[in-house]
Amino acid sequence: MTTFIELVVNGLSVGSVYALIALGFVIIFKATEVVNFAHASLLLVGGYVTAILHDDIGFLPALGAGIATAAVVGALVEFLVLRRATVENHAVLAIVTIGVDIMLTTELTRRIGTEVLTLGDPWQNGIYTIGGVSIAHTRIAALVTAAVLISAFLLAFRYTSWGVAMRAAAEDSETAALMGIRLSRVSLGAWAVAGALAAVAALFLTVFPTPGLDRSTSFAAMKAFPAAILGGLDSTTGALAGGLIIGLTESLVTGYQGDLAFMGRGIGEVAPFLVMLAVLLIRPAGLFGTRELTRV
Amino acid sequence: MSDAAQARQPSAKPASSKPASSNRSAALRRPSVPLAVVGAAVLLAFPFYLDSFWLQTGLFAISAAIGAIGLNLLTGATGQLSMGHAFFLAVGAYGYVFLAADSDTKLTGLGLPTPVAFAGAVVMAGIAGGLFSPIAGRLRGTYLGIASLALIFIGQHVLFNAESVTGGFNGRNVPPLELPGIVFDDSPELVVFNVPLGALERLWFLGLVLLALAAWLARGVLRGRPGRALNTIRDHEVAASVMGVPVARYRAGVFVLSSMYAGTAGALLALIFRRTVPEYFGMFLSLDYLAMIVIGGLGTAAGAVIGAIFVSLLPQLLTRYSDGLPLVAAPGSGGVSPAEASRILYGAAVVAVVLFLPGGLLGLWTRLRMVVTARRAPRTLPRLEKEEQPA
Amino acid sequence: MSELIVDGLTVRFAGLTALDAVDFAVPEGSVHAVIGPNGAGKSTCFNVLSGVYRATEGSVRFAGAELTALSPHKIAALGVARTFQNIALSSRQSVENNLMLGRHRLTRAGFASAGLRLPRARREDARHRGRVREIARFVGVSEYLDAPVGMLPYGVQKRVELARALAMEPSLLLLDEPVAGMNGDERRRMAEVIVAARADLGLSILLVEHDMGMVMKLADRVTVLDFGRRIADGTPDEVQRDPAVIRAYLGAAHTVDAGELAVTGETAADAARQKAEERA
Repeated sequence: MTTFIELVVNGLSVGSVYALIALGFVIIFKATEVVNFAHASLLLVGGYVTAILHDDIGFLPALGAGIATAAVVGALVEFLVLRRATVENHAVLAIVTIGVDIMLTTELTRRIGTEVLTLGDPWQNGIYTIGGVSIAHTRIAALVTAAVLISAFLLAFRYTSWGVAMRAAAEDSETAALMGIRLSRVSLGAWAVAGALAAVAALFLTVFPTPGLDRSTSFAAMKAFPAAILGGLDSTTGALAGGLIIGLTESLVTGYQGDLAFMGRGIGEVAPFLVMLAVLLIRPAGLFGTRELTRV
Repeated sequence: MSDAAQARQPSAKPASSKPASSNRSAALRRPSVPLAVVGAAVLLAFPFYLDSFWLQTGLFAISAAIGAIGLNLLTGATGQLSMGHAFFLAVGAYGYVFLAADSDTKLTGLGLPTPVAFAGAVVMAGIAGGLFSPIAGRLRGTYLGIASLALIFIGQHVLFNAESVTGGFNGRNVPPLELPGIVFDDSPELVVFNVPLGALERLWFLGLVLLALAAWLARGVLRGRPGRALNTIRDHEVAASVMGVPVARYRAGVFVLSSMYAGTAGALLALIFRRTVPEYFGMFLSLDYLAMIVIGGLGTAAGAVIGAIFVSLLPQLLTRYSDGLPLVAAPGSGGVSPAEASRILYGAAVVAVVLFLPGGLLGLWTRLRMVVTARRAPRTLPRLEKEEQPA
Repeated sequence: MSELIVDGLTVRFAGLTALDAVDFAVPEGSVHAVIGPNGAGKSTCFNVLSGVYRATEGSVRFAGAELTALSPHKIAALGVARTFQNIALSSRQSVENNLMLGRHRLTRAGFASAGLRLPRARREDARHRGRVREIARFVGVSEYLDAPVGMLPYGVQKRVELARALAMEPSLLLLDEPVAGMNGDERRRMAEVIVAARADLGLSILLVEHDMGMVMKLADRVTVLDFGRRIADGTPDEVQRDPAVIRAYLGAAHTVDAGELAVTGETAADAARQKAEERA
């Protein structure tokens, strides 16, 4: 039972981190209808900057720098690349982000090399034990931070002028433009916010019990893709639900791996994708996604 | 020429009603026969002159071209993104090995005649694509792109875990293909024009035949009824469906077809490598293929071939000539290695092509030819019907 | 061929009722117009008839089938063709290829026979290309057969859309604002083609159009919608004099003659209203 509780808490914690990434992914999709395959590399940018700076300037400033850099890189991708691409085919826009991803990921993994970088977080390997259930400090920190950030974002999405502009653009970009909303700012903002969220997620993907930031971090970040699509690409609620589902699945399947030996080693890595496929078979638009009504 | 006058023309001569300019562009689209003959001769002569390094690189490009044609049918012509292409290459490669190899103490195999195994591998890839068709038929464009990521992770998992079939981490040896009269291996020895033709040389000819066949089939599909349906699904899904195209069935169908192309490429790759290793069939391979079709030109067989050559040759060229290039360091020296440099370069090429070169390298080539021909040919003015302008 | 019968058709999107129990019938070989201010539900009606949207209630019967239960390609297979208000052609494809798509339901070549260029597929292709050229001549777009659609002027593209629909050899043709955005001469030519198509091919035609002159000239019967409800139904003459219709178009204070009914341009407000309807 204690194992189960531990796994659930860990799953929720990791899931909330996936939700952060997926949320950024969904924000970009809502604002610009671009499926951003460069998302994992934005995460890597944030993590890398934090990792190389924390020794010199301390953890929090380094994290701030990482977040800022990822936000700027996100905004630059929008400004330099996507804004200038004039194609109707959305698959092509997605492939452009793949091109960006190839460049960023290659350069960052080259810099990281075979090393494992720590991000200098204050929690280290501390563990709370409550009634026999052990939870790492980092897990709690992740859960709290993600909860705060996600609530802040959802409030901003609902009540600030930026949020209203964003939702209007997502509903109908043409009309929004006619009403005086600057679409270019909305999409720039979306990319920057997504980059910032990814950088925060980078921190929590690489802290204890994960050894640190290395080449495989971008693969861990990939789990935000199934999270986003199983929730529904155009739904912020879906991103949250999807993140938690993926986190729980991964945690439980990895935790009970011994009982699932017939499915092979490392089934925990695959399980999130299997869950995604199962959901898509039943609901092709995802759990909370709207079945798009084509306008003709 | 008014409509009425045109209507009176005998319908047996439809060409005569076309303006002169379209005849010219039609001629441009058809490569001239002498050019094709020279090209074929050069390609056939390669094994007699190239060393094995370049021959192997060329073979990789040929196999990649076959796979890229398949992906271009799916992504370029239909607008369905797939990140799972590497999975179907793996099915083809491992499928061939499993069907062709004999069982031993650790590994199982069916020991079928190798040509049967090759065909079987292609069919297996098609079946794998068919199993995914409930997803591939229902999800549109980029949604499918994300969903198909699952194939990569599932594929890697199976390749590492199903050891008795795949050999696990170490992979498996690939039995050489044996057609009646020729074995695609270094022995028995085969000497033509005083040049010994080893496995690579022999595979080169096989590869060319397969590629020509693959391109010919794809062209037929794209220019025929299915191609029109696929293009319309990409351009305007609703229009396609109200014109009577069963959209989901076509999406699933083209997914299966593209999987079979990938399977062919994978089986050929296995023959070239002579060993299959699981990590080769990871996500980067899928990304490579997407880069190929964008760089070469979306939606056509020729574009896929050009892109495949570009992406396959770039790292090898950089490796061979890294000494003379600034910024590129020898592997392991800490600088940008040729492999990394080429990845960054073709990542940049993908972005640059979409931004500045719609139509890819093929589009650039077509435009250049238009310019050249337009200069050379005496200008025939296109004829235009008189049209009243809005007030 | 048979009659199209729309019975109690209701479409609701998340609380908003776009069509509310609409009835009308299009007898075989007749031209029926659906008119109404922007946002009245005309396009929604077309989208349900062609299977693009699902009906909430009601039925649409044609050729012995219940259209509301069918997917778009099955409706097309019954011989129902449509054009779109906003052009929905493949802009990079040639006119000829766009028209050949109309032959999809009448042809059989699949991946294998097209890929292998089987004689069967080649014969089929040649035969249908011949017919497509005839249709192109009939509609007056034959000089553009090789041109990519995207390069052609708007008026020509509208005609290509009509030609593509005719290439399906339909028995029922749904025309969604066939002359919107055209100048007087283009309108006249389009009207001529529609009249000729009806006469030569014996089609039933359902027409959504804002150009009242055109509606009055072409239609045998007219159904008027406003806010998703049917407010009038009758011959063009009857409908024109109907006070409810005049009120819907111009507000209660006005009494007008038919000429003034013509809605020539869409205001931004109208467009926005229509969008809102389709969205919801």
